[in-house]
Order: sequence, then C-alpha cells, then structure tokens
Amino acid sequence: MKNVRLGSLVLLILLVAKAAPAGEITVAAASDLTFALTEIAHGYEQKTGNRVKLAFGSSGNFFAQIQNGATFDVFFSADVEYPRKLAASGLAAAPTLWVYGTGRIVLWAPAGSPLNFGKLGMKALLDPSVQKIAIANPAHAPYGRAAKAALERFKLYDQVRDKLVLGENISQTAQFVASGNAQIGILALSLAVAPTLKDKGTYWEVPIDSYPPLEQAAVIPTAATDKALARAFLDYVRTPEARAILRQYGFQPPPEKP
Amino acid sequence: MSWQALALSVKLAAIVSAVLFVVGMPIAYWIASSRWRWRFLVEAVVALPLVLPPTVLGFYLLVAMGPRSPLGRLWLRAFGHTLSFTLEGLVLASLLYSLPFAVQPFAAAFRSVDRQLVNASATLGVSRLRTFARVIVPLSSAGIITGLVLSFAHTLGEFGVVLMVGGNIPGVTRTVSIDIYDQVQSLNYAAANQTALLLLAISFITLSVVYAVNRKVWVL
Amino acid sequence: MKVGTDGDAEAPAGNRALSVHIQKGFPGGFELAAELEAPAGITILFGRSGSGKTTILGCVAGLLAPDAGRIAVGSRVLFDHAQRLNVPVVRRNVGYVFQDLALFPHLTAEQNVAYGLGRLAAGERQHQVQAMLEQFRIAHLAGRKPAELSGGERQRVALARSLVIEPQVLLLDEPLAALDLPTQSQLIADLRRWNREHQIPILYVTHSQREVFALGERVVVLDAGKVLAQGTPQQVLRAPLQETVAQLAGFENIFDARVIALHPPHGTMTCRLEGSSVELEVPLAKAVVGEAARIAVNAGDILMAVERPRGLSARNVLAGRLVGLEQEGITVHARVDCGVVFQVKLTPTARESLALAVGREVWLVIKTYSCHLLESEPG
Repeated sequence: MKNVRLGSLVLLILLVAKAAPAGEITVAAASDLTFALTEIAHGYEQKTGNRVKLAFGSSGNFFAQIQNGATFDVFFSADVEYPRKLAASGLAAAPTLWVYGTGRIVLWAPAGSPLNFGKLGMKALLDPSVQKIAIANPAHAPYGRAAKAALERFKLYDQVRDKLVLGENISQTAQFVASGNAQIGILALSLAVAPTLKDKGTYWEVPIDSYPPLEQAAVIPTAATDKALARAFLDYVRTPEARAILRQYGFQPPPEKP
Repeated sequence: MSWQALALSVKLAAIVSAVLFVVGMPIAYWIASSRWRWRFLVEAVVALPLVLPPTVLGFYLLVAMGPRSPLGRLWLRAFGHTLSFTLEGLVLASLLYSLPFAVQPFAAAFRSVDRQLVNASATLGVSRLRTFARVIVPLSSAGIITGLVLSFAHTLGEFGVVLMVGGNIPGVTRTVSIDIYDQVQSLNYAAANQTALLLLAISFITLSVVYAVNRKVWVL
Repeated sequence: MKVGTDGDAEAPAGNRALSVHIQKGFPGGFELAAELEAPAGITILFGRSGSGKTTILGCVAGLLAPDAGRIAVGSRVLFDHAQRLNVPVVRRNVGYVFQDLALFPHLTAEQNVAYGLGRLAAGERQHQVQAMLEQFRIAHLAGRKPAELSGGERQRVALARSLVIEPQVLLLDEPLAALDLPTQSQLIADLRRWNREHQIPILYVTHSQREVFALGERVVVLDAGKVLAQGTPQQVLRAPLQETVAQLAGFENIFDARVIALHPPHGTMTCRLEGSSVELEVPLAKAVVGEAARIAVNAGDILMAVERPRGLSARNVLAGRLVGLEQEGITVHARVDCGVVFQVKLTPTARESLALAVGREVWLVIKTYSCHLLESEPG
C-alpha cells in the first residue's frame, strides 16, 4: 500500500514536472549586440529549453521605455550610464548591474575605398574624397559620444563637423556607410567584425585612449516579469562559453573585479 | 528652442506641396479621366506610400541614392555628390511619401465634376486642356486645396523617411520631428515638449486658415 | 464668321441637311440602328425614354462613337466607319443643349454664353455675346450665376450659349420638360424665330405630342433603337400605321376587332369590337369577313353628347354610361362604357356646360376616318 502511494506520488511529480511550461523572457539589447547575443541566446535555449525573445535597438530608447513601465526582463545597454540611472531611481536592482564588456570604436570604409587606414590613421577623415562622415548621434548614442570625443582629442572635430551625418543608433550609422552614401564612418568594433559587414569593408581601431571607456552594462529592471529566469540567463552570459562569443564579436572583457 | 529645425520643416513642406501641385495634377487628371483597363495598376502604385512603412521607403531610397545604384551614380556624376543627406534628397523622399495625399484628393475632386459639363465644353469647341483649366480646376478647388493642405501637413510631420535619408544635419536635414526625437532621446523632455507644442500650434493655425478660406461651394 | 471649324469646308448653302445612318450596340443587348434625314428646320425625335433618342444625339455630337455607319452635314462628313473617319467633338461645330443644360455653375450667364467664343478678339466676342443675350431676352441677367436664374432663364442661357458659336447642327434634348406652360410657349416662339432666320438642321428630342405639333416640321418616331416612321406630324401621328406609334402618339383606345361586313361602294367596312356587341364603321381595307383587326381611336377625336344626337354625318354613334371622370391640368379624361370602355378627352368647359357626372348616360360620336386600322406587326 505504501509503495503504491509513494509510486503514484513520484509519478504525479514527474508528470507535473514534464507538464510545466518552458520559461520565456524578453531581453532588450543595444543594437551592436545583435550578432553576439543572438548566438548566446540560441546556446542558452538549446541548453535549458527556455525561450529568449530578443529586442535590439537604441539604448536610449529602451531606457525611456523602461522608465515608462516597459517590462523587459534584462536590459543590455551600450552605455553603463543608463543601467546606473535606472538603479539610482529604483527602477532596477543595483546588485544585478553587471559590466559585460567595453566597446571599441573603429574607422570603417566600404570595400573599394581608396583610403589607406594603415598609412593615414585618423587623418583618413581629412582625405578629399571624403564628403560625408557617419557617426552615431553624440546627443544620445554612446558610440556617438565616443566618436566625438576621439575627434576632439585628435583636433579634427571642427574640421570635419560640416561633413558629419548622424545616425539614430550605431546600426543606422553603419547603414549610411555600408550603402556608400557616406564614404567613411566611426562604427562599433562589434559591428565591423559582424558577419554582415566583415567582408564588405576595412576597419581601423581608433586608439583606445582617445575616448572615455565605453563601459557596457546589463541590469535586471524591477518591472521584469520573471526575475528568476532573468538571473538565470544573465548567469549564463557570464559563463566562459558565452564570454568567448562576446570576445569574438569585439566586446573586450572588462577587467575582472574582485 | 530649435527655430532652425522648425523653419527647415516649414520650408521642406512648402517646397514639397508646391511640387506636388505641379506634378500631382496631371497624374490625378489622368487617373480621373483614363479608361485604360490597366489603370488600376497606376492607382495602386500611387497609393503604395500609404501602406509602406516610412522606414522601408526610406531604406530603399537610401540605397537608390547611394553610389551603387544607377540613379545614384547619375546624380553623382551630374552634381559631384549623392542626393542623400541633402535637402533635395529630402524633397524627393517627401514627394514620394506624400504623393497619394495630393493625388487622391485631386483625382476625387476631378471625378466629381459633372461629366456633362466636360461634354458641354467639348461641344462648344474648347480643347481638353482648356476645359481642364476653365471648368475642371475651378470646380475642383475644394479638393485641390485639400490635397495641398494634406501634403503640407503630412510632410511637416514626416519622421521615418527623413530619419533614413537625412543624416540629421542641422539647418539642412534636421527637421523639427527629428529634433523633437533627439530631445527625447537625450532626456530633454522640457525642450521636446516646447518644440512639439509650437509645431502643433502652427499646424493647427495653418489648417484652420485654409479650411476657413475654403468654405465656398459651387451649387447647381 | 464660323468659330471652331478649322479647315472644314462650309457646306453649300443648298444642301445643309443632316444625314444619319448608324448602328451601335450596348452591353445588355440594346441595339440602335437608325437611319434618318433631317433637312434644315426642326426635326423631332419622338419616342419613349430608352428608345435611343439621346444616343443618336450623342453620336451626332461626337460624344459617342457608333459601331458602324455614316454621319454627314451636307457634304461635310463627321463620321464614316468604313473610312475610319471620326471628327473629334471639339471640331464638329455641333451645338448641343443637354437635358440638364450643363451650364457652368461658376460662370455668369454672360460668361457662359461667351465660353465657346474664346478664339475671337475680345471686342468681337463682346459684341456677339451682347447680341445673343438680347435676342433671347436675357441681357438684364448677364451678371447672374445659373443658381440665381429661373428654369426658363437658364434654358435661354443654354440655348444662347450653343447658338452663339453658329453651329451647323443644333441638338436639343427635351429642352422644355421642366418648364411651366407659359414659359414653354415663350421658348417655342424664340426657337421658331431663330429657326426662321438661320435654317440649320435641328434635332429636337421629346416625348410630348404637344411639342411635336407646335414645332415639328418633321418627326422621326423611335422605339427600341429603331426608326418606326418618319414624315410630317400629320402623316406619322395623326394617322399612325403601326401600333407602337399609335401607343406613343397617345392613341388611348386600341381594340381587337373582327371584320363582319364589307361595303366597297361606300369605302367602309364594319367591325365588331371583341368581347362586345359594339360595331364601328371604319375605312375599307384589304380584308375578308371574319378576319381579325386592330382599331385605334384617338381620345381627342371622340365627341360626347348628353342627348342622342340626330342628323350627324358621323357613322358611329354609341350609347354608353360615364364610368370615370378625372381632370389633369387643362384636360378632362373621361371613361365611357359602351360595351367596351372608351377614353375620351374633353375640355373643362365642356364638362361644366354639359354638367357631366359619373353614372350619366352619354352618347359618343366617332367619325369613320377617326378609326385607324393598325398594321399587324411582325412577330
């Protein structure tokens, strides 16, 4: 009698466990993470059976949406400032804030461009064949701010400002150059090494000390629908396999904190 | 207060409306009077911008204006630079985007003119072109004005297409809608509000004036 | 000076007749096959609505293209299918007054009339417009828009507008339909005066008999897209040969009858109306006793008496009872049962002076020659 009861209890638990639906979270991420995070999320889904819905866009946009009640489970921002502000105003849990990498900017020109980065470096921006230079909008895009800082550091900003065209986010900036409408652009390294752009042009890393570090951080907003699952995903992104993917796509790891 | 952006938007809307008047009237007249069996195809093409997301239209325009497309190359050879990131580029994009807003009211107004009046004009020996000018246009004035106002207002508020091909250059392609968006993105909500309210006021006044003046209707 | 006819030869003065021979098919089965000649003067196109009258006007004006045939004014050909000739509307110089007039609502009466004279110098144009306005007695309305004019005034503006361009043909589509009687009479007088002075073919569409007799020099009867009869109003409407024409011409009394006796020396024969014992003496026709016939009598041709009349020439005197009496405008429609019911048209005066009332015993008098034998129609 006892065996039967135990047996049926086990069976019940197993049945319930099997019947439990797979978890699902929605992740908002800066557009430069498009390729890296898609691959990472795919690996996570394979491993755990949970589903990850990814939304890519401008960090500033997501920030504003979360402020106004959006229920993303995880927010991967291209700029650490946004997660910090969310945490400060209580809209995100401060302990969950994690710097996942530092962004780098590069000069990028489409294949066939006469510009020789190796020889010219930043001076390529002054080449007479350059009529338009694409950067992300410094007013609100982190990569744009970095680009402007680098231009100022190299004392080129005033000379080139008339040629600047501003992209709403770094992806749009890349689009301006990739389509040939701008002859050169200052893009994110992560986009330059992405499969869609890799063979379409050449890039040159802008010296890292010419712009403030682009710390990029993720955070779990307090309005997240499934905090446990969000934490589980974030933990997965910290694993060596996931970090390797990040590195592969140009996200340099931050210095390890104690 | 971004007066420059506002002035640019008004200038763009005015240019586009003027061009749509010149270009849209013949197209609308053809649509209203043609009996070609494939006319519906032309009507569908004209109406396309109504259903295409502005960003899609903008994207294709960006590609078309670039040096890799035959049109882009033509322009490049003629003027030394591409159409993108210029006011002319915005004008072209807005023309396509606002085309149905001009052509459809024009065509509807032309169609509503009593066919017998056109017949009467013909029997009196007046050519089709003169009939258009002396009978059809005066009797379609309400529809023509509606088309102009709609294309003006539509262009004034345009965002997606300008975003894609404009490049956000102050004084050249930074229209007021882009400007407001930038303010919001930079968390400058107060400035965004100010500009938005001013835009709203100007639009409302313009529309009211036009509709007030356009109250005459031809009876009989 | 002829306006709007660049390079077209003026037809020789002697032959300016309009000649129309056309066929046109429509989806839905309606087929128009019309052949008519309209010399200078007023030719009435008479028929029911839907009989094709307006289509003919459209073809002559050039607004519609026939499938086949030929339209010419004198020696000037406007349309010839065989030769692939189709003069465009704007060059035909055909004046057309539409049924709804089609006055330009945004122009004044004067501007409407001046509309077709754009190619004249301003002074000459002004002069001609003024003359036309005066001729149609609308000069004092020159500055008014159509919405500010009465029906009759608008009609005159429409006429003036079409006539000022000196057309070679004038087309009128039911021009008097919406007007009251006094205005109709006035316009008829205007038209006849203009016609006397200018002598061009005028095609005048109407379904009113009154207008046929007031205006028509010729009438063409149309039904279901075919010309049934052409001739003077007398020939065609007073003595109709065909039943359809009779119906159109308002012969309210049409009866089946059987020939019962022939009287060759008198030139008459007697027929009994089917379903009754009423006998009518009608003009002799080629028939045998016992043969069926259709007899039509116009309601306006029947006399009514309240006492049995004596000493009359008329051969048909029928006793009957008044079973219906209605007044419509200036016409009194009476129905009298003599065994068959006859429709009789009277004046209101007659009704009063005879003190007619339903139920009264009356006598009907019908001349032999008022009885028309109708041709049996094919099918």
